[in-house]
Amino acid sequence: MTAQAQQVPDSALIEKMMAGDEAALSTLYDRYSPMLFGMLTRILNDRQAAEEVLQDIFLQVWRNGAQFDASRGSMPAWLMVMGRNRAISRLRGRRDREVLEENEGDFAGTFVSTQNIEEEASRAQMARNVSAALAQLPKEQRQAVELAYFEGMTQSEIAVRTGTPLGTVKTRVRTAMQSLRQILG
Amino acid sequence: MTTPHANPEDMDLYALDALDGEEKQRLEEHLRACPACQRDLAAARGRAALLGLSAPPAAPPASVKSTLLQRARAERPASAPQAVVTKPQKIRWGLRFSFGFGLAAAALAFTTFELAKADLDRGKQINQLQARLSKDELAMQAMGQVTSAPDSAGITLLQQPGGPPGQAHVMYNARMGMAVYSGQLAPAPAGKSYQLWLVPASGAPVSAGLVDANQQSGAVVVHVAPGLVAKAFAVTVEPQGGMPQPTGPKVLVGAA
Repeated sequence: MTAQAQQVPDSALIEKMMAGDEAALSTLYDRYSPMLFGMLTRILNDRQAAEEVLQDIFLQVWRNGAQFDASRGSMPAWLMVMGRNRAISRLRGRRDREVLEENEGDFAGTFVSTQNIEEEASRAQMARNVSAALAQLPKEQRQAVELAYFEGMTQSEIAVRTGTPLGTVKTRVRTAMQSLRQILG
Repeated sequence: MTTPHANPEDMDLYALDALDGEEKQRLEEHLRACPACQRDLAAARGRAALLGLSAPPAAPPASVKSTLLQRARAERPASAPQAVVTKPQKIRWGLRFSFGFGLAAAALAFTTFELAKADLDRGKQINQLQARLSKDELAMQAMGQVTSAPDSAGITLLQQPGGPPGQAHVMYNARMGMAVYSGQLAPAPAGKSYQLWLVPASGAPVSAGLVDANQQSGAVVVHVAPGLVAKAFAVTVEPQGGMPQPTGPKVLVGAA
């Protein structure tokens, strides 16, 4: 065999799931569960909790695949947004995130991702790029971004945790996100 | 005079859900009126989502997938009846489901074997029986999960004044988003269905699907969104096929 088999597009899997095709759910799960489980475990630091959230995410996709809007971004980016919201909600007892996630009219659920990370190889490359971008940041900038993303801290909480003035926290996050933008394009 | 756009620092913080206080309120007010900033925010959120990729991928245990597929298979829309499992009466929750399922499974397995031996032309019937056995197995597994979980709670639903006589029991697990319902009511009026509702601590009731009048001789697994804190469960009379929100009289109610 000289060429890798063509991957069934996520959009096709979603259509099949909406018709009740469990094999499509299985394929989607196999494709993205390692990515999600890694993130969930990092956020929750609890494998059992991460397993439960992971299952809930895919059950949500099974129930409401129609909510996925391909014009807003890729399926993996949508899963990451949904997964992070649920994990942070669980971590911090903030159910508001889950509510906002499915509220079309709220900015908290708004995102657009132009990155193509559906293919495993491109996803792996993107993961390396993001990790490299974070590793290149000064420690304080990386810490500020990671406290926000992985621990769900607000700017005020980051300021208290790090003993840093609020304005400095803002600048660190801004600078870090600008670096990320340059690398990701 | 043009309206100044959002502070880029605040936009990045908001994309990470890290903006708080008055700054957050101000930004949201601005976003409501500024399509350009809405687009910037969406892009910033898309980039922020990729930060999760910096966590190394990890393979979840196989049990997560098998339970997921089992739950997906057992789910039905509110308008469809759920899988019913035969059970003996008046035994503790877990035991009576297990015993009932064991009998049903043994009977079905025996019948399947006999059919295969007697007549190969009856393969279609065999397939149907096997499908039913598989479905019942899944329903039984789901029941076992709910009834054996330490964080499940039992709720008794009692008849309401002026309503038909009846009673039901619900074993609910919010974490799993599953409930096991068993109960008995007078037959629903012609053209009507009984519908089970989860009444959350806040917000509108959530449909848990249709239930048969006589669910006493079987139990049904119903699914709702995980994490819902239940204030009560109720059964109402609805037009056949059910409704998105309750419209008919409550015939059974139980506080959680």
